[in-house]
Amino acid sequence: MFIGRDIDRIDVLDKVLGKPIFAYDLKVEGMLFGCIYRSKRPHALIKKIDIQDALSLNGIVKVITHADIPGENAFGAIKKDQFYLAGDKVRYIGEPILIILGESEKIVRKALNSIKVEYEDIEAIYDPFSSRDSTTLIHDTGNLLSYRTVIKGDFEQGFNESDVVVEHTYKTTWLDHAFMETESGIGYMDETGKIVICSSTQNVHYKRKEISKLLALPEDRIRVIQATTGGGFGGKLDMTVEGYIALSVYLTKRPVVMRFTREESFLSNTKRHPLYIEYKTGAKKDGSINAVKVNIIGDTGAYISYGETVCLRAAIHATGPYEVPHVFVESRMFYTNNHISGAMRGFGIPQVAFAHESQIDEVALLLNMDPLEVRMKNGLRRGSLTATSQLLTNSAGFLETLKKIEPFWKARKKQGLHTGFGLGCMYYGIGNTGVSNPSSCYLTFTDEGKIAFHSGVCEIGQGSDTALLQILLETLNVEERDVVLLRGDTDTSNDAGSSSASRQTYVSGRAVYDAALKMRKYLKSKGYYDCETLRGVCLLAKEEGLPVFEGFFDPPTSPVDSKTSQGIPYATYAFATHMTEIDVDKATGFCKVKKVHASHDVGKAINLKNVKGQIYGGIAMGVGLALMEEFVPSKTESFDSYYIPTSMDMPDVEIFIVEDEEPTGPFGAKGLGEPALIPQAASIVNAIKDAVGVRAFELPCHIERLKALIESEKDKWVE
Amino acid sequence: MVTIDFTLNGKRVTVDVNDNETLLFTLREKLSIKSVKEGCSIGECGTCTVLIDDETHYSCLTLSSKVTGRDVKTVEYLGNIIELHPLQEAFISCGAVQCGYCTPGMLLSAYSLLLKNKDPQDEEIKRAISGNLCRCTGYIQIIEAIRYAAGILKQNC
Amino acid sequence: MLPEFLSRTAKTKEEALSYITGLEDVKVLAGGTDLIVRMRKGEAYKHLVDVMEVPEMKGISCDEEGFKIGATTTHNRLSNSQFIKMNARSLSLACGLIGSPQIRNMGTIGGNLINASPAADTIPPLLVHDAVLTLESKGGERKEELEDFIIAPYKTSMKSDELLTFIHIKRKRFKDYREGYKRVTKRAALAISRLSVAWAIHEYEGLFHDVRLAIGSCTPMPFRPRIVEEFLKGNKKEEQIIIESVKMILEEIKRITGDRPSFIYKIPVLKDLLENILRG
Repeated sequence: MFIGRDIDRIDVLDKVLGKPIFAYDLKVEGMLFGCIYRSKRPHALIKKIDIQDALSLNGIVKVITHADIPGENAFGAIKKDQFYLAGDKVRYIGEPILIILGESEKIVRKALNSIKVEYEDIEAIYDPFSSRDSTTLIHDTGNLLSYRTVIKGDFEQGFNESDVVVEHTYKTTWLDHAFMETESGIGYMDETGKIVICSSTQNVHYKRKEISKLLALPEDRIRVIQATTGGGFGGKLDMTVEGYIALSVYLTKRPVVMRFTREESFLSNTKRHPLYIEYKTGAKKDGSINAVKVNIIGDTGAYISYGETVCLRAAIHATGPYEVPHVFVESRMFYTNNHISGAMRGFGIPQVAFAHESQIDEVALLLNMDPLEVRMKNGLRRGSLTATSQLLTNSAGFLETLKKIEPFWKARKKQGLHTGFGLGCMYYGIGNTGVSNPSSCYLTFTDEGKIAFHSGVCEIGQGSDTALLQILLETLNVEERDVVLLRGDTDTSNDAGSSSASRQTYVSGRAVYDAALKMRKYLKSKGYYDCETLRGVCLLAKEEGLPVFEGFFDPPTSPVDSKTSQGIPYATYAFATHMTEIDVDKATGFCKVKKVHASHDVGKAINLKNVKGQIYGGIAMGVGLALMEEFVPSKTESFDSYYIPTSMDMPDVEIFIVEDEEPTGPFGAKGLGEPALIPQAASIVNAIKDAVGVRAFELPCHIERLKALIESEKDKWVE
Repeated sequence: MVTIDFTLNGKRVTVDVNDNETLLFTLREKLSIKSVKEGCSIGECGTCTVLIDDETHYSCLTLSSKVTGRDVKTVEYLGNIIELHPLQEAFISCGAVQCGYCTPGMLLSAYSLLLKNKDPQDEEIKRAISGNLCRCTGYIQIIEAIRYAAGILKQNC
Repeated sequence: MLPEFLSRTAKTKEEALSYITGLEDVKVLAGGTDLIVRMRKGEAYKHLVDVMEVPEMKGISCDEEGFKIGATTTHNRLSNSQFIKMNARSLSLACGLIGSPQIRNMGTIGGNLINASPAADTIPPLLVHDAVLTLESKGGERKEELEDFIIAPYKTSMKSDELLTFIHIKRKRFKDYREGYKRVTKRAALAISRLSVAWAIHEYEGLFHDVRLAIGSCTPMPFRPRIVEEFLKGNKKEEQIIIESVKMILEEIKRITGDRPSFIYKIPVLKDLLENILRG
């Protein structure tokens, strides 16, 4: 039995020995170092680029401009709107303009300082409201990137029927993924003339496609391999170093390495979308939520990245895990000349959870009801209709997550003078929104008498390799030593889609299961489950020309209606409830997170130890989102000006797992990576209200904001 | 350029270093110790942690010339594939590793703690690893692993 | 990547002094936790002189007026020293809170003083103790009060040929003081102080006898509110006196610094902290 067993991560032995090869640990003879020259202006026309001084430096091999690109100077996960190298215009500080290649990092960094670019500034736009109102266009298509609505029932009628109405505005800011390993990779041309890129990434097949367009080469001339990757969290989904390395290898015919310093990483990588959320909730006396009206305004920065995805996903999830008959959500994403916002763990939902969970608590307060009771009353369950009128027919263990927390909630007791308890809940659609997002893999046999598992899934630390292997071993009823995992390499795997949207265990897990079922049939036909050895089966298979067993799964979804977003955007949802205990120091505004009870419906925990690891990590990120993390453009440079939680900021955590099995998932499993984070910040904000009577409407609620709130409350008493 | 010699993981090494070279660079680029990672280069993340005379240091802020005659340890010292250190065993069994980038530095901070404190309380463990950032694990399983290893080490002696 | 420079390691104080005097464009390197970070951001010198291996500049020893701390004594050593715990509790606490274990193992008290950050953790405790510094050069040595040594944020009165060698702490006037250090940070560890207060207070039968306060991260340099300390001397330990004196301190801070955006936060926090400290 492998499902539900805490087997050790398959990469863990190497990792405790310090052996894994991250991209920057790789070395190829004759390697050039590459560095990107970036725009110093937020919005400007490029008038002149002078690279002569750089070229005259001893050791500088080449300076690449947009004119050197053989294929398309465009990339983007959703739409190809981003330039690898800016030609005539820059739209944010940090936009790449040149690649400088030299014999050493030292000389290349020196050359960076000798580049001269003349700009003609254009009015820069720094917030979505100015963007909406401005006549200055960041792109020819206008400053509004995306407008989505969710319409269910009649919200006006819904509010008319409501006994109480709660209305507030919530704001969040930019956050950085802050993975410990910065973006890095190497590239070279192999003996067959293929361009090989080995990088720190969350997706290899997507990157191969982009490079193929960039270089105007067929995909089979390009190979992308995932090096051991030091965290992703959405920040390694977009093209980071890969395109630049490929272009450099192509143009110089030499191996190239590139690694961003921490400062470059902060400057260049995408950020969590700052959202501005106007939220109105109507409820009846009995506590049932009757109507929700939400207006979301987001800042996607200079280019799209995942802006449209976040725009729609935030709208769809705006009600939270509650059944609301009347829903009206508008969601707009505007371009600005800020850093590009992109995918970051939760795709906008941690932000909307902060809003809807604050609202639910306010409703409970107005109705003098227990916040848990209100959640229980409205919570989605089997038979509920979501905001997109999707009927939940299968796994929907939200109420069970609440029930696990209920005894602790009821027994809660304030130890300190300013102790507070708060709840945070969430639901999260697993996989991409209303679009096909398939995964495929294949199994075959090796000459050594083993099963070869070809997986295109990128292990970024979350444990997908181990979970997928467990699914395979369970289905085939073989041992770990019987399997060879060939992974994260476009040459040896099929496209599994990105490691994002909490989709790998669910989607790729099901594809693995599909392939394994086919192989199991074959193994059975060859007598493996009777008396034949695996080696024996392999010999037979070899005679038959090594049959390949392909696995495939595409979650059953339907595109949502373009006007109302009604439809089936996700095949399944994860649910969670967190209860957080905090202590506030009223003198300083410091909020100490003491204890978290976290309850998650994961469908099925394939590996409990790793499930817990995801939840702990999500809680840490939630503590950061709630209390300290804040990327301030042109101020935040590195970890000295961007605080993420340390060990001493972490609470004690108790975890409860609900396993409402999802029939379309492998052994009932759903996804977990993002759900682990989503409810945490919301529960802290609610706990702060409980502790000191003030409510944060803006995140992070760091010491200064919290103290200001406490002081303003004091003033109220004086008045 | 100066020649320095020091003890690295129990062995004497001699290496030529530039005056402005950091220990992080020397270890990675000249002595092939790739387990020492660069995370920020300004002493704010802990992935480059090494032990100098059994005390944790950020190798990104340490000039290589400073370790002349000293004892430098990296995670390679702790154990090998045949015989893991109890901390390494505990990191495995407690699930204290995800992406693995902070792991070598984290192990060294833990090792240094257990040299001085055989029976650390959770708060002492948290304090000992507070200079090592981890973005994946939320530290909880790391703390559990250190506590667990301390127990094993106590039994062993 | 660091700018190019030549480095020398001094084995004795004399060696260090001759390097400092003899070499062009020279900077003293101790733990490196501030200097190397700044150099990575572009600050450059032709020469660095590493003084960490000068034995006489390390450690704690008693002298006629109290005790002295060698400038290259690490924060870790100071925070673990029983002697410091007994005789300068605020300094012990402050040294235990700086940065992270790694920073405390590397960073030195002298380095912290020379860096002269408004947020330096060791400065308020040393101000409370009226610390005096020994600065040595080829030409001899001079003593200077810490309070005078720091002349502006990140700026000291140290001359280019001088070396900070010792920090002297006098024995206190009375036997029993309650002493402490509190700082406010945005996260629980590995953080810069947003605000800090060191205090040593001697009180007897409801009267303040000797009140010493030092406040960091509020004014360009950490400072002692001496007018208020004087005012409190011999005064009753009463709520009204406490509130009055804290008010005076806050007004003095605003006078020194002018109104700053950060004061929206710092002033009310400092008010609560100081009142609580005086109440004891």
